[in-house]
Amino acid sequence: MVERGERVSAFACVVVPYFAAAALERVEPSLRERPLAAVTGTPPATRVIDANDPARAHGVHPGITEAEARARCPDLSARPLSDAVAAAARHALLDATLVISPRVEDAGGGVVHVDTHGLARLIGDAEAVGKRLVKEARAVGFTAMVGLAESRAAARVAARLGRPVTVIPPGRERAMLAPAPIVVLEPDPKIAAVLTQWGIRTVGDLATLPRAELSARLGAPGVRLHELACGEDRDLFTPYSPPPFYQDAQHVEWELTTLAQVAEVLTLVLERLCARLALRHLVADVVDLDLTLTTAEHHHVRVPFAYPLRDRPAMVTLALQAVESNPPRAAATALAVTAHPVRALPGQHGLWEPRLPASRDLATILTRLSTLVGADAVGSPLLVDSHRPDAVTLTTFALGAAAAATTDPPARRHAQLMLRRVRPPRPITVEADDAPRAVTWNGVRYGVTTAAGPWRLSGEWWDVTGWARDEWDVALADGTLCRVARDLRTGTWLLDGVYD
Amino acid sequence: MHAERLVRAGEITEIVGRLSSGRTSLLVAALARATRAGAVAALVDVDDAFDAAGAARAGVDLARLLWVRCGRRRDHALRAADLLARCPGFGVVALDLGELAPRLPLTAGFRLRLAVRRSRVALVVLSSQRIAGAGAALAVETVQTGVDWTGPARATTRLARVRARVSVVRARVAPGPRAMDLEWWSEASA
Repeated sequence: MVERGERVSAFACVVVPYFAAAALERVEPSLRERPLAAVTGTPPATRVIDANDPARAHGVHPGITEAEARARCPDLSARPLSDAVAAAARHALLDATLVISPRVEDAGGGVVHVDTHGLARLIGDAEAVGKRLVKEARAVGFTAMVGLAESRAAARVAARLGRPVTVIPPGRERAMLAPAPIVVLEPDPKIAAVLTQWGIRTVGDLATLPRAELSARLGAPGVRLHELACGEDRDLFTPYSPPPFYQDAQHVEWELTTLAQVAEVLTLVLERLCARLALRHLVADVVDLDLTLTTAEHHHVRVPFAYPLRDRPAMVTLALQAVESNPPRAAATALAVTAHPVRALPGQHGLWEPRLPASRDLATILTRLSTLVGADAVGSPLLVDSHRPDAVTLTTFALGAAAAATTDPPARRHAQLMLRRVRPPRPITVEADDAPRAVTWNGVRYGVTTAAGPWRLSGEWWDVTGWARDEWDVALADGTLCRVARDLRTGTWLLDGVYD
Repeated sequence: MHAERLVRAGEITEIVGRLSSGRTSLLVAALARATRAGAVAALVDVDDAFDAAGAARAGVDLARLLWVRCGRRRDHALRAADLLARCPGFGVVALDLGELAPRLPLTAGFRLRLAVRRSRVALVVLSSQRIAGAGAALAVETVQTGVDWTGPARATTRLARVRARVSVVRARVAPGPRAMDLEWWSEASA
């Protein structure tokens, strides 16, 4: 319920400066303190698309060629920015902000808008929310600046004022943003040159210009810039929905020829992925590896985990086992990993309940059992909603489901007699008049002393999978109690199981 | 012999008997008791004979049961049981070896015993004959003593009840009564 006078909009803007360079620093943290440029294109015609602070201090900026950048900064490290690395960085930043608020908007280029309305009761005042956003961004490898204001535009400008957290109190947007240089609005270079010619140096100068006149001279980009300067939002908030898979990648300057080298890179990638999964309290049940080979081919390896997990060492071990059993045909130069997330077990186990296997032990056991008998032969039995005899399937055995399962099954009057099923039901020969008199299997004839039945069952007659049978409980001369059935569609007799 | 007396943490129990003597029903009762108490159980099923629907009716919480189907590979079953016996946290690990129980070397039996002692797992082995030797702390044998049917005597309609006698054939510690009569009721009558 919104009370009279309560403000209902509050936004934070998380900005990671020089995002392309920051994405490269995230996958190669040793580059943080060194001049770094993100480049694109085919050598020798490569151009700089972004550079970090140390590189910019040497005059390296986007647009110049790599050769020119190296001339200006001999210690420069240049790295190509792949789409996979850029996408992983973008999603990592969005994941970090989703920890704070379920409503976030991807504004592109390392800028994320976060709806912070109502967070005061959870986290604290605006300053606390800003600090928490900085902390979460750091957890995924970014140094972010955060601005908080009533509008996204004002928050975005505030985030670029140079402080880790800048809070603009309600109603003071224009006053606080006015002294900021015009460059915080990130104008197009041509428009920036025009504004400089006009003598417009600060955000306040731009905000005082008449918007209609500005539109006539600079067009839509000029109007957009004016709205930013005034702290006004025009676009609708477009909430971000996380993708169904978590992806991360790493490119290397050398060739990965041995399993140990793959392990080294895999460890780095999975460390980042696990950090992202941990932020959302998720675990992975399948991991897909995509190795880019020197032959320009891709080598795919799927690693299904018998038990969903987020434990990096265990994931690395299992993934390496899969790569070892399915090795690539050539050396690799890049590795991309896709994790399929599932919900992690919430809460802790009860003090008075029987102990359960440790997740890591269980994951290892299930993997070994899957290797031993096959992945489709290990799991938890799941009854299918059908009257068909033996309607059961296997589902993934998970501690979460086991812990959440009911401990209160329906009470029974008597102990249940079990049937040892014969799978698939074995065709047998039955001598019968009104009831079975003798059965023969494996060439041995058994006389029937008692036969009870028939119990006529049928189902799914509306489909091609329909079934119909007469069931008999029979006691053989040697004391064995069996359930035999006659398939009414084919007329064959089947041994369904033995009571035991 | 009640199911709770069969399951002993850190010990091996053997259930032996011929077909239709109620040994599978006794094993499933032990699984039901463990899962109803909130523990996790595992069943290593050599012959793929486990009846999940019947087990659910018997009170087994299927979500807490790990079913390992071995496709009639007894070597796989012994290896799987060995792995599970070493994993602390399982309340009961049941090894259903069916009719053709493999010969278990004496050393293998003692190795299993050592493993379950360390992990505090209760290992219950079902087979037609004893295989664990002195490694088992308790061994019981089931013998069918009677069968009851529903319906008129000349036209019975369904199997109603199996009566069985469970006798202790080996006990390292006193298990209570040496023998007990049990009744197992069929699906139609229970």
